Amino acid sequence: MIWGALAGGFVGTLVLTTGLRAATELRLTRIDLPFLLGTAFSADRIRARALGYGLHFLAGLAFASIYYAVFRAVDEASWGLGAIFGLIHAIFAGTALVNILLPLVHPRMATPFNAADSTPLLEPPGFLLLNYGASTPVAMVIVHLLYGAIVGEAVFLSG
Amino acid sequence: MEAPSRSDGHAPIGDYAAIGDGRTVALVASDGSVDWLCLPELDSASAFAALLDPQRGGCFRLAPDERYTVERRYLDETNVLETTFTTGSGAVRVTDAMPLPLVGLAPDRELARSIEGIGGSVAMSWSVEPRFGYAGGNTRLGTRADRPVATAGSEALAVNSWGAGDPRISDDAIRGSFVAEAGDASLIALSIAHATPLVLPARREVAERLSKTIDFWRQWAARRHYGGPWREAVVRSALALKLLIYSPSGAIAAAATTSLPEEIGGVRNWDYRYSWIRDSSATLDALLRLGCPAEAEAFFWWLMHASQLSHPKLRILYRLNGVPRSPERELPLHGYRGSRPVRIGNAAGGQDQLDVYGHLLQTAWLYCGAGGTLDRDTAGRLAATADLICDLWRQPDSGIWEVRSTPAHFTQSKMMCWVGLERAGRLANDGRIPDEGLGRWQQAREEIAEFVSERCWSEERRAYMRFPGAEDSDAGLLLPSLLGYDDGAGGERLLSTARHIQATLGSGPLLHRYRGDDGLPGTEGAFLACSFWLVDALARLGQLAEAERLMDRIVRLANDVGLYSEEMDPEGLEFLGNIPQGLVHLALINAAVTLEEERGRR
Repeated sequence: MIWGALAGGFVGTLVLTTGLRAATELRLTRIDLPFLLGTAFSADRIRARALGYGLHFLAGLAFASIYYAVFRAVDEASWGLGAIFGLIHAIFAGTALVNILLPLVHPRMATPFNAADSTPLLEPPGFLLLNYGASTPVAMVIVHLLYGAIVGEAVFLSG
Repeated sequence: MEAPSRSDGHAPIGDYAAIGDGRTVALVASDGSVDWLCLPELDSASAFAALLDPQRGGCFRLAPDERYTVERRYLDETNVLETTFTTGSGAVRVTDAMPLPLVGLAPDRELARSIEGIGGSVAMSWSVEPRFGYAGGNTRLGTRADRPVATAGSEALAVNSWGAGDPRISDDAIRGSFVAEAGDASLIALSIAHATPLVLPARREVAERLSKTIDFWRQWAARRHYGGPWREAVVRSALALKLLIYSPSGAIAAAATTSLPEEIGGVRNWDYRYSWIRDSSATLDALLRLGCPAEAEAFFWWLMHASQLSHPKLRILYRLNGVPRSPERELPLHGYRGSRPVRIGNAAGGQDQLDVYGHLLQTAWLYCGAGGTLDRDTAGRLAATADLICDLWRQPDSGIWEVRSTPAHFTQSKMMCWVGLERAGRLANDGRIPDEGLGRWQQAREEIAEFVSERCWSEERRAYMRFPGAEDSDAGLLLPSLLGYDDGAGGERLLSTARHIQATLGSGPLLHRYRGDDGLPGTEGAFLACSFWLVDALARLGQLAEAERLMDRIVRLANDVGLYSEEMDPEGLEFLGNIPQGLVHLALINAAVTLEEERGRR
């Protein structure tokens, strides 16, 4: 059921966000997805972060819906298959989504074409988000595996 | 001022000015080098620690290439530093600040250095050499969006420069050079990130934040109440204290640094980036007397929250975020002019010091006297603190100076227990705290007074001694008289003790804390806060003219920008110990206000 996927998406995003936060506290990475998303709309750090958390959860639900569509297409859902989707998701995020697509649409994200004399810019993520720390890809893969497994299991349980 | 000289790469401690943003503090030497900066907070690990190890510690240098003389000042009533370098070919003005996040999308922390050519033509060079984690981190240099960055774990720093030459990365440093012609304006800003992506600011926004930061400090300073003859020193002290106030919690750090030695080459090197309960009553008193009600309120409630976990016992010191643990360890750094060990953390946190209970109740009494209200839970905890004094006052302790020798019955600790019980009695009589223990507190107070009067007073020396049977006094004994200790002798014994302290511990206008054993090898300088306590005590004990003369002499001992470290060598008048030292600036403010009040009474 789609509701199972959405519930899984919510819980999965919760785990993903908490996991990344823990990784930053452990000094493994400087990635902060809510901050990156929120600063696309606000220069106020507090407002940006609050907005970013909301957007991040919406994105989590949207990705869970896409996972659900694929589960339906292959007529199978399990935590293992969900984890494989999560791995693909992490690789996509690290190579294209956050690395290339986000800087293109983010008004404050630096690109190789910027001269930063008019507005402040955010540090670009780089390939596999390595600019935010050498352990960032590992952290991203782990939290996305968890996210995918949770969504897969939730879809499986909800029939 | 002549071109500053360094010894083995170390600038004199008195050569440092402080800039900050309410979260952390950077120290800038008069030769333009930022030698100390901890990130992201004041009590975090350093990114620049050349102060403690010029070879490995890391710094941000900015100076003319040729010989120069230097003049420095803070911009009027701000924490923004202005350094003017004059060379044979021209002059350059550098304005240093840690801008507040008042404009746009600001970095987590920012350090801005604005450079103006004000005459002729001056070749300038700069280098940023970050060494995260007290120089123990794996600092990597690279670029983001064509700007040089340094990263290590969750810390990152970008070097943004405009009109200051093309930055280049070489030898673990980011360097640049340029020629400042008259009328030129350049800007170098470090944008700093902790656990977030870096913000790479625009020049216009850095300049705007710098300008608004100057406005903020001026507006803040203009609201301080003091119009006496030492206004410049009082306002500078207030601004120095504001730098030491950790804005998220309201706690005040004892100083901005760790391990600046009390004796050059010695082992008395401590981490002062903590908040001491011992300083709490002086802190609240100074904040209230200067008209800083918001800071006073925040500090009082930080104190009550921080002490809640260990209640009714108190730790000697707490971290700025209120955490009670402060494990001490040593760092493999060279140390200031070879003064090792370099310590972080502070083992004194676990000592027993009885005076802290007196300070807590005195602080609560001051807070209530200024119109503050206590909730029921806090009131109950304060009453329990008074009960605890009744249980503990007969025990030996480590005393106000945290000696590492065998605990003793320090007179000052007993007096502070008396002050605590006296304040508890007043609070109970005013209905601020429960009064069930009132009778017991009164009885214990009388017993303490008897103990102090009979066991701690030396008729031969006409002074209170450091502890019963001791043959020397202790400058800490000046403090209870400032906090209302009444020995029943109309102040005569307190004045006589002050005279004895002056005669036996004094050296010109300076005072040593004590001369006896404290369990550590080596010696130390004169303790500057004690000199201001002496001024305060003399003024309260009716010696106003003498107190004013002494005040004049000590105020002149500040460094060129009005700051004090903890101690001073009485011979060479060289600063020793951590800088800027909150307790000294608190004592200066309280002494100046007392002098003004006593003058008003005449």
